[in-house]
Amino acid sequence: MNAPTGLDFASIPERIQSEVQRAIQRSIKGVEYFSTSGPTLGSTPKDVLHSRGTMNLYHYRPQSDEIYRIPVLIVMATTNRGYILDLVPGQSFIEFLLKRGYDVYMLDWTAPRPEEKSLRMEDYVLDFIPDCVRRVQQDSGEKDVSVIGYCFGGVLSLLYGSIFNDGPMKNLICFTTPIDFREMKLFSNFSDRRYFDVDRLVDSVGNVPPEMILSSFEMLRPASRTVSQIQLWENIWNDEFVKSYRMFDRWATDTLPLAGEYFRAITKDLMWDNKLFNDNMSVGGRAAKLANIKVPILHAVAEHDHIVPYDAAKHLITKIGSTDKEEVMLKGGHVSLVAGANAIKRLWPKLDSWLGKRSI
Amino acid sequence: MTDKINDPVAMWQKMVGEMEKGFNSFANQAMSSPEFSQAMNRAGGVAAGAQKQFGDLMEKYLLSMNLPSREQMTGIAERLQSIEGQLGEIKSMLSQMSAGSGAPQSGTIPRPPRTKRPPSDSGEQR
Repeated sequence: MNAPTGLDFASIPERIQSEVQRAIQRSIKGVEYFSTSGPTLGSTPKDVLHSRGTMNLYHYRPQSDEIYRIPVLIVMATTNRGYILDLVPGQSFIEFLLKRGYDVYMLDWTAPRPEEKSLRMEDYVLDFIPDCVRRVQQDSGEKDVSVIGYCFGGVLSLLYGSIFNDGPMKNLICFTTPIDFREMKLFSNFSDRRYFDVDRLVDSVGNVPPEMILSSFEMLRPASRTVSQIQLWENIWNDEFVKSYRMFDRWATDTLPLAGEYFRAITKDLMWDNKLFNDNMSVGGRAAKLANIKVPILHAVAEHDHIVPYDAAKHLITKIGSTDKEEVMLKGGHVSLVAGANAIKRLWPKLDSWLGKRSI
Repeated sequence: MTDKINDPVAMWQKMVGEMEKGFNSFANQAMSSPEFSQAMNRAGGVAAGAQKQFGDLMEKYLLSMNLPSREQMTGIAERLQSIEGQLGEIKSMLSQMSAGSGAPQSGTIPRPPRTKRPPSDSGEQR
């Protein structure tokens, strides 16, 4: 019975007992946490189709009796590892696609080596992606390819699609892809051209270190890391919570360095001059206007995305040249949009229903 | 069952959540100012400059010790990378030639047919 003050005296002994049990469990599980490694991630069977420096092209082994005609190439963001899309069985986007009958390839990145500091935007857009698309065509025997780009992988896919607009890209799906970089307000302020000397940084360090990339992401929500550790301690008795925490924490802290020249181009062309939004972007002297893209496009954005706010992404659909285009806003954040329980019930089925009928 | 409003653990969790939101919001406001950008980049610039000076000094030291510098190691790595790239190309050409000749490729897993159709409007999943 609740007392008028709002305190339920009858339930106090029961609650104390439960909390004592959890405290004991915390101690036991806490020792386990530090003495074991987390779940194995990215274990869906795959073959490395091609590997060149920072670039890796994987082909995932089909898991259905028949597959759609058009293969799918996923272009991962250059700051992070692709296993966010292949966490563990039952929570893997890749596994979901394979079971739904897609033939899946992924362009994933490893840390650029010091000698790769000279990789430019041209290398990514005019070499790596077209090379992977060619290899997907060769491997699958199909001339059409659907492309899925996550975050900055989406930006690279847009640049590729706008330059090779009569190429093999048949469908384009972007997840949380920014095009108006002025609206990434904090990143924009961190890289304010009056104070941020990108030339000095790149000339000094070569590749931009992953700690710097990670810090800039964490600065967007400076209290969240501490709070997540408090939450971990509170829930360390809960195996499912701990498993999920370890998966996402490992991925989030496994940030990649960025090739120096590539970072210089991102800062100057996108952060400073906002060229993609202003329709004056070019890569290697080739114009990259969003209006050049005419293929069907789906853009999925997250309602609570603190990394790519909606204002930075919302103009993509209006600026793209396609007639078959759709934006879908789903509940979740930048990562929970694509991975975890939220993605399983929201984004994945939506993507399947959109892409399936365009993959024959 | 304890009402969430009266549960001290739930109250604590709510308070932590609110504190997180409040602190993030406050910090975001502070970090939006040009003064923050100036201070942050000044500190970053000093660190980058110091790193460069230290690198130059270390290179001179390694030279005096008759040891290869980072730049020389990078040069070797570049050559290795070029060899790796060429090996990759040769491997790719060989697999294409092998596929063209109709010879069975070792380790090749048979692929399912590309005949999949999307589920019908009735919601049936094939």
